[in-house]
Amino acid sequence: MIEVINLTKKYGNQKAVDNISFKVEKGEILGFLGPNGAGKSTTMNMITGYLSANEGSIKVDGYDVLENPNEVKKRIGYLPEQPPLYMDMTVREYLNFVCDLKKVKENREIHVNRIASLVKIQDVIGRKIQNLSKGYKQRVGLAQALVGDPEVLILDEPTVGLDPQQIIEIRNVIKGLGKNRTIILSSHILPEISAICERVLIINKGVLVAEGSPEELSQHLSKSRKVMVRIAGDESKISLVLGKISGIEKLTKLGSKEAGTFDYIIEVDESTDIRYPLFDEIVKGDLKLLMSKPMDTTLEEIFMKAIKDDVRIDNGPTTSEDEKININESVPEIGIDSEGTNESDVNGEVEE
Amino acid sequence: MFAVFKREFKSYFTSLWGYIFLAAFLAIGAITYITINLMYSMASMSAYFQTMITLVMFILPILTMRIFSEDMKQKTDQLLYTAPVSSLSIVVGKFLAVYAVFLIGLVLMAWFPISLSFFGAVPVAETISMFVGFALFCGSVIAIGVFMSSLTESQVIAAIATYAFVIGTVLLTSSLLPIISNNVLSEIVGAFSLMNKFSDFSIGVLSLSPILYYISFMVIFVFLTNMTLQKRRFS
Repeated sequence: MIEVINLTKKYGNQKAVDNISFKVEKGEILGFLGPNGAGKSTTMNMITGYLSANEGSIKVDGYDVLENPNEVKKRIGYLPEQPPLYMDMTVREYLNFVCDLKKVKENREIHVNRIASLVKIQDVIGRKIQNLSKGYKQRVGLAQALVGDPEVLILDEPTVGLDPQQIIEIRNVIKGLGKNRTIILSSHILPEISAICERVLIINKGVLVAEGSPEELSQHLSKSRKVMVRIAGDESKISLVLGKISGIEKLTKLGSKEAGTFDYIIEVDESTDIRYPLFDEIVKGDLKLLMSKPMDTTLEEIFMKAIKDDVRIDNGPTTSEDEKININESVPEIGIDSEGTNESDVNGEVEE
Repeated sequence: MFAVFKREFKSYFTSLWGYIFLAAFLAIGAITYITINLMYSMASMSAYFQTMITLVMFILPILTMRIFSEDMKQKTDQLLYTAPVSSLSIVVGKFLAVYAVFLIGLVLMAWFPISLSFFGAVPVAETISMFVGFALFCGSVIAIGVFMSSLTESQVIAAIATYAFVIGTVLLTSSLLPIISNNVLSEIVGAFSLMNKFSDFSIGVLSLSPILYYISFMVIFVFLTNMTLQKRRFS
């Protein structure tokens, strides 16, 4: 349905998108994952015909974006990063205007009402867009993309600014839409991608760094098991005790998050259950185990692994222990933070 | 094109800009009308329009400055340029919307000569031709304003650039033209003289050349606007 070949976009000398190629089959939901500024929006802007590429070609349903822009645009519903809303219009006026623009044949009233009920904006349909909350604005933006029932939906961070309840609703809406549409969805929120998408592209600095289903990607990388522990006691004693436990492949010190305690990440072979010996040794050593939390390999780690060569993590003010942590080791820390919160709050942002 | 026209036209009246423009336009018209036609008891609109074409240049940017700048700032241009409509039709739709708002003002302005006709003999042909000329002149200024608006997302810069361009051409042609001895050069400079072309209309003659001049001026600037927008996306 969508075919992108050797796509390159330069802004001045900087390559925003560097030689990206991929295909999206009909009915597929593709996730576009990458840190801010990775080139996700630029790529989407090019597919939708808003920007032109410097090199490469894009075909949608067999039509080239440059040669047959209108044929391509007819097939695409686009929700850009910032929803393109006219603040001085009411929701209904706005959707009617979009119907006009996209030359919708169906009865306006029925069409607009159907879309409004799909994204649940019937309650605000008579209100001016400027008076709506961010979540509603985002939904009106999504409604706009759905006008004309396009075969392809391109959604640039569709759940930004929504509350947890709304995020789940919108995800379900997108999943529902994905049954008979082709969808490209970008996000830097990893759980979102794994919840919705069948296939993921990870892009960083304009380059495609990984591709596959969320399962494939996590299988590929999860050869070890990780447990995060928080132990109360003397630091040197903890090191001594942990050092005694056999089977630990890698021990990463995360520093102290709570007075008198120290956090570690213990990595073991997949077949080893470290929890029993760990508990025993800690008790024997007269220490207190305050927390033990298994950590699955998440998309986040895959993501961080995929882009670790380039990524810069700003840890903020660091303690002396923290300074020792290199980028690689600080990866799980991000995982912990996001896992500890409601998934809707997960920012997963890797750069500040 | 019609969808864009309708939206833009309406937006002038859902926001205050349309009303502000009409109020300013008619206020300036009324003051000119009182100070020229009423105080000197003149039935001819010639002096009136000669004054108006200078004054109107300062208020037309009220209409034009937001037409593309606001789209760029609010990112609503992403909706327009990813919709299955050509970019030229978007530009034309927007230009016509601005022009239509101006024409409302012009129609209301017709009250001035009509009111004069109750008290004296208004030269009908001359007045009509001046209205036509004035509409064409303002259309050209609007086309410049629309073009300037497509260059920047700042409405203020768009307005100032329009003033600078229009005032520049006026100064250029009124002060520079008489002292240019080279014929070719004076022809070229004269081509930018929006005001000079208006004099034909004020003697009651609807000749083809100034009409074509103004229309081609509008077409060129609408075209340039389209090219600017294309270039931004295709460079």
